[in-house]
Amino acid sequence: MNASTHMAPELRSGSKILIRALECNGVKQIFGYPGGTIMPVYDALVGSGLKHYLCRHEQGAALAADAYGRVTRKAGVCMATSGPGATNLVTGIANAFMDSVPMVIITGQVPSALQGTDAFQEVDIFGITLPIVKHSYIVRAVADIPRIVNEAFELAESGRPGPVLIDLPKDISAGMGEVADVMPAPRPAGRMPDSGAMQAASEILSKARRPLIIAGGGIAISDSVEAFRKFVARTNIPVTSTLKGLGVMLPDDPCYVGMLGMHGNGAANHAVQNCDVLMVVGARFDDRATGHLAQFAPSARVIHLDIDPAEISKLRKADVAVVGELVPALEGIQPENTARAGWCAQCANWVKEFAWRYDAPGKGIYAPKLLRDLSRAQPEGLTITCDVGQHQMWVAQHCRFDNPLNHLSSGGLGTMGYGLPAAIGAKVAKPEATVVCVSGDGSIMMNVQELATLNRYGIDVKILLFDNSALGLVRQWQELFFEGNYSEVHLDDNPDFAGVARAFGIQARSIKEPEEVTDAIEWLLNSQGAAMLHVSIDSMENVWPLVPPGKPNHKMMKSNPKNGR
Amino acid sequence: MNHTLRIQLSSVEGAVIRALGLIERRGYSLNKCTVSEPDGTGRDMEVSVTSSRPGDLLKRQLERLHDVDHVELLPSVIVNPNKPGVRPITRRI
Repeated sequence: MNASTHMAPELRSGSKILIRALECNGVKQIFGYPGGTIMPVYDALVGSGLKHYLCRHEQGAALAADAYGRVTRKAGVCMATSGPGATNLVTGIANAFMDSVPMVIITGQVPSALQGTDAFQEVDIFGITLPIVKHSYIVRAVADIPRIVNEAFELAESGRPGPVLIDLPKDISAGMGEVADVMPAPRPAGRMPDSGAMQAASEILSKARRPLIIAGGGIAISDSVEAFRKFVARTNIPVTSTLKGLGVMLPDDPCYVGMLGMHGNGAANHAVQNCDVLMVVGARFDDRATGHLAQFAPSARVIHLDIDPAEISKLRKADVAVVGELVPALEGIQPENTARAGWCAQCANWVKEFAWRYDAPGKGIYAPKLLRDLSRAQPEGLTITCDVGQHQMWVAQHCRFDNPLNHLSSGGLGTMGYGLPAAIGAKVAKPEATVVCVSGDGSIMMNVQELATLNRYGIDVKILLFDNSALGLVRQWQELFFEGNYSEVHLDDNPDFAGVARAFGIQARSIKEPEEVTDAIEWLLNSQGAAMLHVSIDSMENVWPLVPPGKPNHKMMKSNPKNGR
Repeated sequence: MNHTLRIQLSSVEGAVIRALGLIERRGYSLNKCTVSEPDGTGRDMEVSVTSSRPGDLLKRQLERLHDVDHVELLPSVIVNPNKPGVRPITRRI
């Protein structure tokens, strides 16, 4: 695109200028829900080149835009009216903020003259969202629209991505102006890492006897997967991954030890506790990954690679910080010594020792085995979106990802209800992909209305719904850490989920027995159009291993000490 | 630990409240704040904060705000750590 290509100004409404500005920024699809103050924009939408997906709750629209942004690495766009429309977006905005997802949010606002008067459907969405946006705007003049929209997309997508909100008062969207289109200017180059820091990192790694890399979500965000894999092949350093880093390494790579953290693999948690140098790449020492921070990687010197200077030494002091774009950083770090056979062998032994087992003693369907079988049934290109809870951890543990963009999980915010709208956003962004939403009986009800969106647009999403008639992860914690005092976790009165799906026009099937699994997976993956597979599992099933709160990562529980389950 | 920071902000809507909100949300207790707009080109803000967290981390967190143009961390002064208002680092469980 040419910088600042001005077309002849013509008298247009603010809404038409907005729609054109979105088009100039490459937007093709929008997720949203109309209402009073955003009506001028919906009026201008008719006949535009933008495809609008009407979700059935604004939260669904925001979460669909989040997934669209993750998959495409371009800002997903969502739109809602003022007041409740805007506040319903908030969870989706926070979700994108916590996971560094590019998103542009457009909210209608009451007319400027009514702002601050408690007008109908007035809320200060600019103020409400201040802590959960990368930046935000209130548009005060029609002429500002092209500049603000261009800035919003650049901010959302550059550096560490994040959500950017544009609050648009109705007098601006309905107002007229002779305003020319402004094409977005070329983006400035990203920050280059400091050569001295890369040299220092190389020297520390050269002297390391037991180095380990944590692969984080920043690798996928910065499109650095290939550079990262080359770095690992060149340096022969074992790698663990965060939840959002899954898929950066091929699961069967001999250097890979699995996911670390609260529900991580024992091999990864032992490697991290025993390493002498920890190179953290695009990750931020989240407490679910580190366990008790003071005892995390206690013998390690830390090299931290990140685009965001504010992440350096936020939680764990970095001995060397390499701030900037990941690809040149990974290419510029060149340790001389890569011989560390004993340490690699030790890591490989841990991988064998802590390999997942699928011979569960129960008689019912074992969810981890079903998920492994699902991954095996379509090993390449399966995109899985998750809700939050036990099933989310089982997906992380037992599904195989060869690309981090194929695993869409609400990592930072932990948003129950993410999975179904995320699957919509992912499928819209990647129509050729097979998209499976893995959900639970608690989570699915958080955004169940989006089944109507699947049906309305014929979006081919497969839903795998694990039903343990409980809020499983909370129940597990009450079992382990609250002496079995179960409080508000039983969902024995769940609806007939297959019946619910059918009522929305989605084909559905329910299974309860292990013998049904193989056939059911084949049915789900090969069914024409959207489908739901409802799977009943044991309500007392737990996620293992588990690092108890306040404990270091190697103090993993492998079963309930009271009953051995 | 007491920290004093001089922050240059753009003269745009929300810049002051965005910076102040970040300061408190990130665990720094605000003791003093002055804001002035000397020549109409931008706002100068000086804040004095107390926290067990380092001042340079707050500086970097402020610097990533789009409407913050420059942050200067002045040499810090050690105060009584038992002084009320110090917000401990709390962790999610």
